[in-house]
Amino acid sequence: MLAKGGSKHARWKLRLSGWTRLAVIFLFSVVLAGYVLGPFVWLASSSIQNEREIISVPPHWVPEDPTLLNFKAIFLAQRKGVTYETRTQADPVSGGYIPSTAKNLLPSLWNSLIVAVSVVVLNLVVGIPAAYAMAKIRFRGRSTSIYFMLSTRVIPDIVLVVPFFLFISRLGLLDNVLSLIITYLAITVPFTVFILMSYFESLPDELDKAARVDGCSRFQTLTLVFLPLALPSVAAIVLFSFLTSWNEFLLALMFTQTIASQTMPIVIASFTSDFTISFSFINAAGVVAVVPPVLLAVVFERYIVSGMTAGAVKG
Amino acid sequence: MPPRPRLRLSGVISGKFDFEARAAALFLLPVTVVLVAVAVFPIGYSFYISLFQLKLTRPHRVPFVWLDNYAKILTDELFWSSAWRTFSFTVMSVTAISILAVLIALLLNETFRGRRFLAIILVAPWAIPTVANGLMWKWIYDSSFGALNGALLQLGMIDKYVVWLGDPEKTLPLIANAFVWKEVPLASILILVTMKSIPADLYRAAKVDGANVLQRFIHITLPSLRPGFMLVFIYETMMAIRHFDLFFILTEGGPAQASHVASWHIYVETFRNLSFGTGNALAYVMAIVTFALAYFIIRTLGRRL
Repeated sequence: MLAKGGSKHARWKLRLSGWTRLAVIFLFSVVLAGYVLGPFVWLASSSIQNEREIISVPPHWVPEDPTLLNFKAIFLAQRKGVTYETRTQADPVSGGYIPSTAKNLLPSLWNSLIVAVSVVVLNLVVGIPAAYAMAKIRFRGRSTSIYFMLSTRVIPDIVLVVPFFLFISRLGLLDNVLSLIITYLAITVPFTVFILMSYFESLPDELDKAARVDGCSRFQTLTLVFLPLALPSVAAIVLFSFLTSWNEFLLALMFTQTIASQTMPIVIASFTSDFTISFSFINAAGVVAVVPPVLLAVVFERYIVSGMTAGAVKG
Repeated sequence: MPPRPRLRLSGVISGKFDFEARAAALFLLPVTVVLVAVAVFPIGYSFYISLFQLKLTRPHRVPFVWLDNYAKILTDELFWSSAWRTFSFTVMSVTAISILAVLIALLLNETFRGRRFLAIILVAPWAIPTVANGLMWKWIYDSSFGALNGALLQLGMIDKYVVWLGDPEKTLPLIANAFVWKEVPLASILILVTMKSIPADLYRAAKVDGANVLQRFIHITLPSLRPGFMLVFIYETMMAIRHFDLFFILTEGGPAQASHVASWHIYVETFRNLSFGTGNALAYVMAIVTFALAYFIIRTLGRRL
């Protein structure tokens, strides 16, 4: 999608002599890679140090005595009930300890997964027909409905918090993942419809006509003709709505109270506000939080770009 | 979007307008139900609540107070200082994001080995949870064991470890830095995509007319970037104004009130002081301001830039 701009689309090239150009590009690339990867490398390096090493001054960039104890603590926390005592036994010098809430991390990942997958499915169910109708059916109020859709996304989510909170408590859904699934629709659906609509619009109208002449109903035209063609865009919205729900913090902070519904960001945030926690343990938790979304994004990188291109840049 | 000529043959020939409208209505029904339930209704309800004195500390006494909540919050000095902090945070972040994004897009627009690698790693900061981002930077900025102190000390740029987030002078720029790091990738991708759509003829024509690299950049690249740039500008402004997560993780509004921004102010008023009426009024003011701002940016900058 990106790099293959052929003869039609040119690039703004640095018109410098070969070596200078190469040097500039090389230097800039190294700086950029360092800027992007630096924090990740430091996080990963800290996560495999023991408590003694992590408080060295100046810091050890490369761990001298790498250990997976922190990850073990996360994954075995539920079985063993890692507490202050068991932790200090394992690493006597440290004094940093692993909180009792450590056992919440794995269940919270599960909650996050349930929420994210449900939100993705609902987005597809609700968003696909709407996007198709907006792109290919001419009806009165079409442009109004597009503006309406976009304007709901300009509203800061913090405005939604109190009304949601009152509703959800009245419905008895506080501390229930359902409350998160419902409210996350508000922050994902407008974007989903917008991206898909832009993609459907870029497909020729003749396709629509031909399918209709051949006797397809509107629904069949959508599912048999347009949807298969729009798969890259569908991949993009699956990714976007998944990551948005997986990463969301503010609403989850308000509506969840116990591990019955707490999602991963909430449990991680509870670690960071505890000053007595082992630093290396927090960093290991950070790695666990960062790996799944980064993997997803890196694998589906091309869809992010094509998804953006579909709607965004046409203005 | 430029209007494209369309012939609605199916509609015109068989007079199926009613049918079309009905199909559209059917397809739009689910999304309408969802958005009314989770967006429109809450926004209206939010305004309604903001007219009451609703305090969870006194749940049984909820008098209707007209616009008193608004009067109360607007006369609060903390409101204005937090609005000012949000303003400076937004200006800092959006400026940095815009400049960095254009630079990164210029780099990725070149063809060279490793370009693909850079493009792929660039999406990583965008994908991670803001909470993990906060955790990461909190540890980098740590005043006793953090990487920033360590690196600067080893490079000889400081003599001894410095307090970073705990210094009111440095707090906002440092939080803005963490915000920028996460937001820059998306912005660069959007600008890069716009850059790739600039027709080559423009450059050829300019070269024939004798324009040099810099002139071509200023007179062709920059103006042609307008749509992508506008989008980045508006989107990032909206995101910076409402940003909450990093303030929660990194500083909780502190030290003193150095990072007590508008979104944090709303949170404290609503969920720590448990005053839902004024909290809602605050949130509503923020909504109106962001809305007006988006409109203003599109109207003025959108034309001139």
